[in-house]
Amino acid sequence: MESIIKKIEQEIASMTSVTREEETGVVRTTGDGIAEIDGLEGAVMAEMVLFDPTFDRTLESALKDAEQIYGLVLNLEEDGVRVVILGDASRVYEGMRVRRLGRLLSIPVGDGLVGRVVNALGEPVDGKGAVGASGSGTKLTPIEREAYGVMDRAPVNTPIHTGIKALDALIPIGRGQRELIIGDRGVGKTTIAIDTILNQKTEDPATRPICIYVAIGQKESKTARIVADLAEAGAMDYTIVVTAPASSPAAFQFLAPFAGATIGEHFMDQGKDALVIYDDLSKHAVAYRQMSLLLRRPPGREAYPGDIFYLHSRLLERAAKLSKEKGGGSLTALPIIETQEGDISAYIPTNVISITDGQVFLLANLFNKGQRPAIDVGNSVSRVGSSAQTKAMKKVSGKIKLELAQFRELEAFMQFASDLDEGTKKQIDAGQRMTQILNQPQGKPLAFEMEAAVIFAATNGFLDGFPAAETSAAEVRLQDFLTREAKAELKAIRDSREISDATDKALRAKLDAFAERATPVEKEA
Amino acid sequence: MTNLYAQALWTASQQEGADAKKLVKNLTEHLKEQGRLKLLPSILADLKRLDARNTKLAASVEVAHEREAPTALKEAVARGIHAEKAHVNVSLIKGWRASGQGMLIDASAKRELIELYRSITTA
Repeated sequence: MESIIKKIEQEIASMTSVTREEETGVVRTTGDGIAEIDGLEGAVMAEMVLFDPTFDRTLESALKDAEQIYGLVLNLEEDGVRVVILGDASRVYEGMRVRRLGRLLSIPVGDGLVGRVVNALGEPVDGKGAVGASGSGTKLTPIEREAYGVMDRAPVNTPIHTGIKALDALIPIGRGQRELIIGDRGVGKTTIAIDTILNQKTEDPATRPICIYVAIGQKESKTARIVADLAEAGAMDYTIVVTAPASSPAAFQFLAPFAGATIGEHFMDQGKDALVIYDDLSKHAVAYRQMSLLLRRPPGREAYPGDIFYLHSRLLERAAKLSKEKGGGSLTALPIIETQEGDISAYIPTNVISITDGQVFLLANLFNKGQRPAIDVGNSVSRVGSSAQTKAMKKVSGKIKLELAQFRELEAFMQFASDLDEGTKKQIDAGQRMTQILNQPQGKPLAFEMEAAVIFAATNGFLDGFPAAETSAAEVRLQDFLTREAKAELKAIRDSREISDATDKALRAKLDAFAERATPVEKEA
Repeated sequence: MTNLYAQALWTASQQEGADAKKLVKNLTEHLKEQGRLKLLPSILADLKRLDARNTKLAASVEVAHEREAPTALKEAVARGIHAEKAHVNVSLIKGWRASGQGMLIDASAKRELIELYRSITTA
């Protein structure tokens, strides 16, 4: 109470008679989260405005309902503007005064956001109070910003490890890259994204990227579960969650990815690495379509507005690897798109595929067959490729794609197994083993040195003594063995990021011992 | 289209020496010639909307007490807002408020107290 009294005394002491001069307009009509305003002739596109609920009221009644309602100007018309209401639209009424704030939409960003769950306006929604110490340590940053130009960028050459063997070996992602995760509902898109965040715990804190998970139009129960899982794994120490659930207005779902990008750029501009996941941009496109139709913008293909491509291109172009002169930081983007019936040739999927630097295509039939992650290796690509791989991973993963492609061709002949020559049977066994090796349970990302060691073992025949159908069980034993008895070799791979000749020799010796120790029952005769 | 008719009628009515009866007669005859007489109710609705809009945006000066009216009107004119008289609005508590030409000039105690309340109650 004393502090409140003191604060009031300070405020009154600093009070001077002020004449405020502001440009204002009047609400003509409102509905569906949109307000048409007469006046505001000087307003600019994407400018923030303030709806004033106190103008026509007595002081007493005004203080009971003094919370401000913000709006965003999105249409400039001949006799007024159309504004998207960023708040409780039910409080906006015809005849309400609206004033310009003279600034573009901005959100508070700062290091204090780490570990917090915020909404599309940067306001905390996790019940832990203001961000930082009483909101300090944050600065207002415009949510829309031009992406860095060509000359400010550097080539992508540092990997961001997802901890998922199939991705890090076959579809490597670099820091500063945009890699799309695309597939039908329920095939593991969000799982790949969350496992990537969890895996950053294995990174050196000095180089660990700050992760930002943007939930767009998701169920609140799903987002709550994700936050709980991240907190349990200790991942919230380096993660920020931006949430615009399905129940939030379309304007918030439209703004959320831009808020995520703005937060990521804050860390990138400090020379740090950041990772932002947009889950998912299909819902983002739908929210933007809804807003555009309510703003009476002309509908185009599938009723999307004409600038739907620009919506995603300007968002994704903000991901970058900066040059040394600009601090060397990076912002990696993992946008997610949901397809219908596996149709990657639909409007929004093709738009985003053409923007990103590669895609990870997940197939429902592979998922149902038990291949998880259900990656369609044939249609998935990383356009950055091996530039974003450590030497260790490059060494072990070189042949996998070709072997898997050959295996797929031979799969059809498997039903005639008894009629096949030895060479073909061996190739099929090798393909089956490799497919099982690339399977990985949810929530169990691997450190990159373990990934490299496991794939090394698989590609060099150290698991050939186990029946092909039991490769997964053999892998679990192999990981246990490596953790206990190959610590020095794993450390050497981690520190040097390559498998040197000496490490190769030592690792082979250890793997020979592992293969010998497997019980006779487990080995093929 | 009805909006354009209403806008044209409104603009014509604002000119000096405009004859409202004549304007309406000319409009009705024009609509009859074009076969668009059925648009008249919609034109009327748009005209009412325009009138309401311009009334809302018209210049006005409010004061908390009658004695503050001369000062308020003078200050408003200095800032480009020309109102014929000042209306008393006791909710302002003290001071005055003027609006017009798309601007709002607020020198009332009510606004100061609301801003004080907001700065105290927000972190």
